[in-house]
Amino acid sequence: MGVPLEAGRPVRSRDAGAARRVRFGGTAGMVGAAILLCFILIAVFAPVLSPYSPHASNFTPWQPPSAAHLLGTDDYGQDVLTQVLWGARTSIVVGVAAGLLASSLGVLVGLVAGYTGGWIGEVLMRLVDLLQVIPTIVLLIIIAAFVPSLGLGGEILIIGFLSWVWMARSIRSQVLSESARGYVEASRVIGMSNAEIMFREILPNLLPVILANLVLVVTGAILAEASLDFLGIGSPNVISWGTMLSLAFSTNAILYNAWWWIAPPGFCIATLCFAFILIGNGVLAMYAQRRGSMAQH
Amino acid sequence: MRVSARYVLKRVGFALLTLWAAVTADFFLPRLMGGNPAEYIASQTSLGSPQLIAALKAEFGLTNPNPFYQYWRYFVELAHGNLGVSYEYYPSRVGTLLWHALPFTVGLLLVAVVISFVVGIFLGMLCAWRPGSWFDSIVVGTSFYLHAVPYFWTAMLLLLFGAFDLKAFPLGHALPAEAQNFGPAGLVVRVLWHGVLPVLSLLLVSIAGHVLVTRNNMLQALSEDYVVLARAKGLPEGQVRWRYAARTALLPSFTGLMLSLGHVVGGALLTEIVFSYPGVGQLIYQAILNHDYPVIQGAFLIVALCVIAANLMADLVYPLVDPRVSLT
Repeated sequence: MGVPLEAGRPVRSRDAGAARRVRFGGTAGMVGAAILLCFILIAVFAPVLSPYSPHASNFTPWQPPSAAHLLGTDDYGQDVLTQVLWGARTSIVVGVAAGLLASSLGVLVGLVAGYTGGWIGEVLMRLVDLLQVIPTIVLLIIIAAFVPSLGLGGEILIIGFLSWVWMARSIRSQVLSESARGYVEASRVIGMSNAEIMFREILPNLLPVILANLVLVVTGAILAEASLDFLGIGSPNVISWGTMLSLAFSTNAILYNAWWWIAPPGFCIATLCFAFILIGNGVLAMYAQRRGSMAQH
Repeated sequence: MRVSARYVLKRVGFALLTLWAAVTADFFLPRLMGGNPAEYIASQTSLGSPQLIAALKAEFGLTNPNPFYQYWRYFVELAHGNLGVSYEYYPSRVGTLLWHALPFTVGLLLVAVVISFVVGIFLGMLCAWRPGSWFDSIVVGTSFYLHAVPYFWTAMLLLLFGAFDLKAFPLGHALPAEAQNFGPAGLVVRVLWHGVLPVLSLLLVSIAGHVLVTRNNMLQALSEDYVVLARAKGLPEGQVRWRYAARTALLPSFTGLMLSLGHVVGGALLTEIVFSYPGVGQLIYQAILNHDYPVIQGAFLIVALCVIAANLMADLVYPLVDPRVSLT
């Protein structure tokens, strides 16, 4: 949830350390992909992997980890491990769905603003500037607080509609540099329509940048979802890592020294987002290597 | 170095436009959920007489149902500094509640943002000077991970280990319970003591972004032709790094600092909740629990106003650091 890293502007790989960095980026990207795969498997097979039913709450509360409960039990007498496994579903679904929504919006705005330019481009970019200054995470919290019973779908929608700004900015600057290349002019000469040039010619060349930005948007969406759930204004009836932390906080888990309830959900949120960041970084490193020191900006 | 009047006007104009957008969003938010705040308040205070409803309607500017009129009244009331009345703490005014909470949030943020920026760019530059070294790998790897950590989780862990297990720090709040027993100096020490863990939780997460952005910019700057030339001329390495590369590398970091402000503010609001720190975040949390909508609305406005003002100040200072900006 810190500085949105600017994807799409890889360092020019001219210096000696560059090759090594690319290799490092590639390896890190594979590690990220492996971690992500683990989480996806956990999400898919949660019913099989969970030792207990996610709704079973008949255990002794506040038990530290034991053989019967590897991650102990919570205040409600629920098995923490079961909750953690089922929580993977919420984070991945909301993160990816909101990320895809935001990315589609961002790519659309960035393409139109960068390619058509003119007053439309100007208006769109002023809108982007404006949304960048308004603290969106705070706006998100406020909107969620006002909308009664948001639910998962609502969370996806508002996170998606408030997270496209970075993508739009990054795509626009890429489109500007693409537009200066010969093939765009050539397509125009042979009579292709603007829409065709934008979506059939320019868009495929942007895919690495889109992918690198997408994983950052997904990371932001996962963290935003966790924050809303922590505040109890997301989807409190769905098992999620954010809701687990929310319940742990409101039932004073800290005063019970229930580290087994507090540590796992946050660790999972951070590790899942970490995996996405590594993947994005790996994509950018490979992209930078392929294009060499040319054609940046 | 002079800043052109046109540049100043443009930036101030943009800040006003942003502020207008924030106020407009704030105006429409409560209308998302329908209902009438006057009747809601009256029902909450269990004094729900028709006279009270009429008086409250007048106070909220709801006597005229025309939405354009209400929108206009909203601006007029805001211009008079009137943010409305709290449902929960009726008849406390929202402005008063925020006024008491704001210094804690601003203090927390100022300390955390300045330390994280300075330490972050320093670490980022050290990494860029030895790319691929073990130091670089560890710092970059750690930064990637910390960048992905939720603010409220670090806060909970710090509270658990630092305050509950080690008993080294207080378990929350900004002041000791018997504040009147301490002299001014003792009070200052205790306020700082209460702030250590909240600031630390913000630092841990927000440093990561600065490290990564600065490292990237520094690597970019070190590969620029003028730096290569400076090296070829045989200038000492320290001079090349600080006088040549660092000056261009730090400008984008400064912009990054302002753009990340919204995120850090969001993080601070969550951190305050965990530490029961009596700032705006805590106020918002209580307001969410109590459905105290005017407070939520007012809090967003104040937070947006602060972030917009900080950005405007940065915009106005920026040309003094980088004269190219005001020429465009």
